[in-house]
Amino acid sequence: MTVTQGAPTRVVTRSEVEDFLYAEADLLDAQRYDDWLSLFVEGARFEVPTTDNPHLPAAVSGYFVCDDWNLLKARVKRLKSRKAHAENPASLTHRMVSNVRLAGQQGDELRLTANFIVHRSRDGGMNAYVGRHEHRLHVTEGGLRFLLRRSVLAHEHLTAGARLSFIL
Amino acid sequence: MTERRGPIGVPLVVQDWDKLTFRVHRSAYRDDAYFADERTQIWDRSWLYLGHETELPEPNDFVVRNLGGRPLIFCRDTEGELHAFLNSCPHRGTVLCRESRGSSKLFQCFYHAWTFRNNGDVAAIPDQVAYPENGFRDTMGLRSVARLETFEGFVFVSFTDDVPPLREHLGAAADYLTMIREQHVDGMTVLPGTQLYGVKGNWKLGVENAMDGYHFSPTHNTFVGYLRETGFAVDDDDQYAYNLGNGHSLLILTGHGGRISMLWEPRFGEAERERTAEHRREMEQRLGSERAHLVADESHILFVFPNLLLFDLEGLSIRQLEPVAPGHTDVRAWQLVPRVEDPDVRDLRMRTMVSFVGPGGLATPDDIEAYEAVQRGIEATAGDVRTELDYSDMSRGMASELTDDRGRSTDEGAMRGFWRHWARAVGQDPVDIGTPPPPRAEPVPQPSKRPHGLDEILAGLGVQAQEVSR
Repeated sequence: MTVTQGAPTRVVTRSEVEDFLYAEADLLDAQRYDDWLSLFVEGARFEVPTTDNPHLPAAVSGYFVCDDWNLLKARVKRLKSRKAHAENPASLTHRMVSNVRLAGQQGDELRLTANFIVHRSRDGGMNAYVGRHEHRLHVTEGGLRFLLRRSVLAHEHLTAGARLSFIL
Repeated sequence: MTERRGPIGVPLVVQDWDKLTFRVHRSAYRDDAYFADERTQIWDRSWLYLGHETELPEPNDFVVRNLGGRPLIFCRDTEGELHAFLNSCPHRGTVLCRESRGSSKLFQCFYHAWTFRNNGDVAAIPDQVAYPENGFRDTMGLRSVARLETFEGFVFVSFTDDVPPLREHLGAAADYLTMIREQHVDGMTVLPGTQLYGVKGNWKLGVENAMDGYHFSPTHNTFVGYLRETGFAVDDDDQYAYNLGNGHSLLILTGHGGRISMLWEPRFGEAERERTAEHRREMEQRLGSERAHLVADESHILFVFPNLLLFDLEGLSIRQLEPVAPGHTDVRAWQLVPRVEDPDVRDLRMRTMVSFVGPGGLATPDDIEAYEAVQRGIEATAGDVRTELDYSDMSRGMASELTDDRGRSTDEGAMRGFWRHWARAVGQDPVDIGTPPPPRAEPVPQPSKRPHGLDEILAGLGVQAQEVSR
């Protein structure tokens, strides 16, 4: 994926980014994983760093999720399978996205941050996951696509039962 | 004995030598009373894995961590020596260090400002004149654990002096820790970034799961499918489980995936193939052919009783189990990597390991689902008047215990060894039905029949093995 440098190829507004994030949240809550994957540029990455060291790159730190494109596709394929036991039946999730900020645009690459709360119900209990998205998007004439989908948890640890078997 | 505990007259571990069945009473996973017994009989009396010395690379580094329910400060003092102190002010018991990690020469209690050096000595007691002069200060140093010893970088502690030397406790498990160090000429280091997560299941379910090759194909159906697609066929033949004594156990696996920089497979990519061949040649020179084969070509899952699991697979992950309650275990997992490593290999290693092992991976979440589903499911038979129903079965492959045969990795022999050790530790010796077989020595781990990986990779690269001095 080549990303052009310099001046923005076109102006992206915060409301366009918000619409993108809200639509993404709806796809995930509805478990529409193929549609969700179509929001990514081929070759994109998906990352969730550990709670104790969220600012180091994966080469020098443990991670919860550090999917390259192949692993991301494998993750989606898995989640669609009835044999993904940790998500069969699927967790009921409900997402809130707020505090959306555009953090700079270079050429056709846009950085953004946004806060999230994901509530997940499963097995008679509910877990809340809070944190901050730190995404990089590819700006095209047709819309926005993920280059990097990175979610940083604001937790000390994952509480009992709060595994990341779904897409955070 | 603890007969007052659990259902009256119902044995916890029952082995029937006529029917070849092995049963564990489910109260062992559920009851507060057994959890309390484990605390006093196991966690307060055994060597426990605390952490890796490379977590504290510099003098004055520290981390805090609960171990066996006790809050500890694990630190390196100003002179570089390792310590583990109870994280509790000797004065009135306040948690002394409320950071999770950092670097400090001193630990100061916020409550009354008592201050301690990182070797445990008292540095300052404010307004000390109000205390007796005769050695009072010397009695108020930080409370250390009773024992701390290190083997191959793995730091263990005990809360009692009444334990054998660490090397003796590790016994046959020790060589598998040495093999890890031998993988790379510059040794191994723990990366920062710890997977910290909780599981709604008893800690012993985590041990069982790691020693259970039987679950791999059904539980990890989607992961096995992924491996197949990347050109790797999962195979359970010629793989065995061993009881190593003192409650430790081992699976030796040769059919579950490659080993980064040692055993190549297609999903690692062509560039990694050349690098692997180069590293294998170096291992051959350094370790000799036979040892290099053992270190490089076999994957290991090692359990060191009671709280350390080492996943020496595609990469290396250290997992520590910390029981919180009968149905709640905190888990910590670290990546153990070569100190010196090509950045591309490191990237591959991290992607590969995290994709499998960890609460956000493609496989571990299904294991967690299994522990949690067991913990919920075993409530069904609790207190049922048909007492024989309230047992879990671990009979698979028990016939091999009547012969000198090794148990297969897909049998349940390593679990049986664990439960026998556990039952004796908590004073509930296994109950025999029928005639037990005469005592036998546990089968000693044998090298697998898999070919030498160096020959394999050179053949794959079109190089004659004879060209390399062996």
